[in-house]
Amino acid sequence: MRAFAASVEEVFREAAARWTLIAYFALSSLFILIFACAVNLDIVNGALAGAKLFGRALEIGDSGLDVNRLVLGFESGFSGFLYFLGTFLALFATAHLVPRLQEKGTIDLYLSRPIGRVPLLLSRYVGGLLLAAANLVYLIGAMWLIVVWKTRVLHPRFLLSGAVILFTIAALLAFAFLVGVVTSSTGVSLMATYALFFFGAALATHDRIAAAVSTELSARIVQGLYWALPKTAELLQATVVLVAGGNAPDRLAKFNAFGVFGSTAAFAVAALALASWLFSRKDF
Amino acid sequence: MANPIEAQGLRKVYRPRFGGRTVAALDGLDLAVEPGEVFGLLGPNGAGKTTTVKILLGLTRPTSGTARLFGRPASDPESRRRVGYLPEGHRFPGYLTARQTLSLFGRMSGVDSGVLERRIPALLERVRLADWADVRVKKFSKGMTQRLGLAAALVHEPDVLLLDEPTDGVDPVGRREIRDLLQAEAAQGRAILLNSHLLSEVERMCGRVAVLRSGRVAAQGRIEDLTASGTRYRLVATGVDEEVMAAYRDSGGSIERVNGHFDLTARDLDHVNALVDRLRASGARLQELSPVRSSLEDVFVGLVRGDEHERASVA
Repeated sequence: MRAFAASVEEVFREAAARWTLIAYFALSSLFILIFACAVNLDIVNGALAGAKLFGRALEIGDSGLDVNRLVLGFESGFSGFLYFLGTFLALFATAHLVPRLQEKGTIDLYLSRPIGRVPLLLSRYVGGLLLAAANLVYLIGAMWLIVVWKTRVLHPRFLLSGAVILFTIAALLAFAFLVGVVTSSTGVSLMATYALFFFGAALATHDRIAAAVSTELSARIVQGLYWALPKTAELLQATVVLVAGGNAPDRLAKFNAFGVFGSTAAFAVAALALASWLFSRKDF
Repeated sequence: MANPIEAQGLRKVYRPRFGGRTVAALDGLDLAVEPGEVFGLLGPNGAGKTTTVKILLGLTRPTSGTARLFGRPASDPESRRRVGYLPEGHRFPGYLTARQTLSLFGRMSGVDSGVLERRIPALLERVRLADWADVRVKKFSKGMTQRLGLAAALVHEPDVLLLDEPTDGVDPVGRREIRDLLQAEAAQGRAILLNSHLLSEVERMCGRVAVLRSGRVAAQGRIEDLTASGTRYRLVATGVDEEVMAAYRDSGGSIERVNGHFDLTARDLDHVNALVDRLRASGARLQELSPVRSSLEDVFVGLVRGDEHERASVA
């Protein structure tokens, strides 16, 4: 356990020393700052009387808008944007964790200690997830506080979006680790994981793709891939719905939550188990 | 009690990923290192030294055979709790200071932080890095990094040390200090397996050595046994009779006068004694009779060249 904790701590120390952590949080801060400066709302008696975005006045209408509804709509839409931002930043900041560990002259130092290979790999994974979680807490927490400051509306459901984003990062990071173990390349890990993200999103239209392909086998493959790979489009949908709660539009609210989360979690577990197995059998 | 290091019938065959010829890095290696012993592993490049060490540490799996540390299989991470390792070409994280490096690898070995706080300053003092304790490793010279590597191998007070070229890049004074340090560790009962190309270093530090050749042990034993020729002697004497010398040559030995002494070869110890008897009987006065030793380098080169000749004759 001591070795595991030391390895997790090392992930943070390495991220800080190599500017990854600073860049990660600086980019998030920059985004928060832009957001804080860009949005200016004029609220009178709980209704929005005027709004400016990047200095330009928005059309509100004579009666004004209910601020609660406005904040809810804004936050649910904005959580979708944070889903992309949080996931991409997290993968960029953590994809090197396995390739760098496997470098010649480094891996010998770690594996000559009394720590099993699987715990060593998992400690890097946990470290990477904690790093991503810390950034999400900062990014989403700061956004939420800015919204509260500008509107005086408390809407804690927005904070829940972090849980779905972290879940998505966990699944994609497991895949990045698998590619990292096989190729020992940060670049390949990143490219493959981003490709998986977009491929998974494209498969949201699996029914239409399956109907369009020429053979039964191709249709089955498309359906099989859909169920095997992370459902990145549906997870984005889940983020928005979770924040919107009962106010989510019907077309968004309808999705198989158990299937989406269950199959994505199964993918993550399978990818991590395969990465662990390959890592434990590898000759260095 | 089980030996600190034991290997039996170790074989490691590397198979190319896309066809091609397989390569046997190790071909039935047997090895045993006892407590308090400094054991040298020698051999030309590609003889299997690093593969042996990697198998002992569980970094590489053997194709067949067994490797054990204190009786535990080398594949068991627990077997490494009592092992300190200094790899060749190690790369400590450059952003860590010497103190942080020892703390990280100490904790990775299961040592409590409180214990490390007390132990690290003394260890840094021992490897002459006390003044550099809080300097980042990326600022260190090759020799300093090597000394830090040695401290990292010792930080959890292991019972076995596996050292790959420990004096690589270290100046002569530093080399002597490392030698003294390792001998002090051995005196405390620690077993040390030393993998080095510097034969003079090995000759000074090791009690026993194994010379690997093409993945096999070509020669193994105490250095004085390996370097003693057994048949060559140096004789210093006056009044040596030419007739006695001729008779000795007739009996199968050889004796030559060289720069004021005699070089002689004998079949065995009785043959030498018979010559001594005849010299004494003829009135010669003996001042010195000593066996001629080869250097470890002579033995090493002889074994390696023998392998090259064998391969050439096969071809």
